Amino acid sequence: MQIVKLPKENLDKFMGGLSKFGEIHAPIKKDENTYLFSKIEDLSKIELNYNRTILPPKKYFLPPNETMFRFSPEKGYEPPQDNLNKKYVLLGVHSCDIHGLKILDLVFSGTYVDNYYFTRRKNTSIIGVSCIPDDMCFCRSMETDFVEDGFDLFLSDIDDSYLVRIATSLGDDMVRANQSLFKEVDKEDIAEYKRKSNERKNYFKIDLELYNLPEIMDLEYESKIWEEIGEKCLSCGTCSMVCPTCYCYDVFDQLNLDGKTGERRRQWDSCLFKDYALVAGGLNFRSERSARVKNRYFHKQRGFVAQYGRPSCVGCGRCIQSCPAKIDIVEVMTKIRSASYE
Amino acid sequence: MAKPKVGVFGMTGCAGEQIVILNCEDELMDILKVLDIRSFHTAMSENDEQCDLDIAFVEGAVVQPEEEVWLKKIRKRSRLLIALGTCAVWGGVAAMKNEVSPQRLKDEVYGPRGQIFKSIPAQPLHSFVKVDFSVSGCPIEKEQFLQAIASLVHGDIPVLPKYAVCTECKLNENTCLLVEKSELCLGPITVAGCNARCLSYGIPCCGCRGPVEEANIASEVEILKEKGFTLGDIRNQLRTYAAPAEVLQTYFTKR
Repeated sequence: MQIVKLPKENLDKFMGGLSKFGEIHAPIKKDENTYLFSKIEDLSKIELNYNRTILPPKKYFLPPNETMFRFSPEKGYEPPQDNLNKKYVLLGVHSCDIHGLKILDLVFSGTYVDNYYFTRRKNTSIIGVSCIPDDMCFCRSMETDFVEDGFDLFLSDIDDSYLVRIATSLGDDMVRANQSLFKEVDKEDIAEYKRKSNERKNYFKIDLELYNLPEIMDLEYESKIWEEIGEKCLSCGTCSMVCPTCYCYDVFDQLNLDGKTGERRRQWDSCLFKDYALVAGGLNFRSERSARVKNRYFHKQRGFVAQYGRPSCVGCGRCIQSCPAKIDIVEVMTKIRSASYE
Repeated sequence: MAKPKVGVFGMTGCAGEQIVILNCEDELMDILKVLDIRSFHTAMSENDEQCDLDIAFVEGAVVQPEEEVWLKKIRKRSRLLIALGTCAVWGGVAAMKNEVSPQRLKDEVYGPRGQIFKSIPAQPLHSFVKVDFSVSGCPIEKEQFLQAIASLVHGDIPVLPKYAVCTECKLNENTCLLVEKSELCLGPITVAGCNARCLSYGIPCCGCRGPVEEANIASEVEILKEKGFTLGDIRNQLRTYAAPAEVLQTYFTKR
């Protein structure tokens, strides 16, 4: 992979030049400890030193709400009005979130390819940025603290400059369009990069051990730990909304007042919702809260491994930060593991 | 197909639901195209009090014996009865008074003249009659009301969100007032549909839409206590809009 250097004093000029590749979206500060990806009109609002955004970048590819098509007896089915082909540049994406998108790619490219998702994916370039983990990050445990593909450019902070990995021809075009802003990488830069990478390992405070986890979960399927978590869980859906790999959605028709025309919509859903597993006839095969919490963890750490060969958690820490009941996935998994050693 | 015959009625409340209906200014003509409104005292001067109805929309809580009789009469003449607003669905603000003796309330509020009022504990409609569908909110959301009409006209029971306000709040990417700011927020146990309006303006959820189906009151109370709120503060907030709700009754009776 080709690597070049972008001195920080050239960062603004580089970011400004990106607008010809699409509408720029990047993290901005929302509040004292909260950030979000947002459309950028003023480059000075971009906050590349952030811990995590409230919603992950999945919102750009699988929007929280979207119209799939409109229908009427006269015109039949019509495509949505939103322009799926609009170009975007998503700047400042962390390694864990890029992994999150790669996991969504696996899911949406299955038997029924999701064209809404992939059209947006195709039209959005990704520029990653390195980060310093905080006390809720456990990407290292989930092997997502480093990313080798799934981006066009990746910026790694080495104090005065960024080392820029170029992963695609589009990324190469972005660099070439601003060639004068970049420099060649020298030995000292490499040394600094190595030093930073090694130093970063020391920042991790929590660890989720993956070894044998799927089997341990099977063994602890009946554990009373699930009931305990079920008692605390509010079923509020927060963890699913903020999760970079939760992809469930609900599809429904929204009718207009005439009762004939309307649109088919889809909207994020959550397996924590009581009516998620409600079926015709009123039967609910996960009516207990504990069963729903258990299902969520099993799907992330057990079912997904069986189907795709890796857990669908990327260790971003969003669910830990945002759960009102302070249910912490790392604590839960550690408890389950300890139970299996008893 | 004939337009469904509809009545809009108000028990005790602020008439907020009826005002929301009248505020659907851009849609009123479309509503009249699909509904045959026979009774709507707040909006019309000629009302049919006897005809059979396909749908009765009823707002407000029942707080007087006369209202119980009236509500039952409405139920008898309507194929569907739909509760509109938190008072009709949960008892609402009026039901906060239920714990205090009616005599004391009358004396304090009206003095000796209070004797002319006959009052019973404020209750939601379902305490007296079968309610086919509920649209909660204080007041109801215009969009939900229009969606409900569209579904009903099409012959479907409307589908409204059953999840909590937190979900909508996250989708709006608000900073969590409960987690990040330790404010007394009822978002996790309050039913969504408002698009987390207050929270998007930085005001914590006061629970005005009533509880979610399986509200985990015990966990919410624990969370708030840990943040330093007293059980009294929490109880007052929880009881403001939905005091008669079984989930609250059960929680507080157990204690």
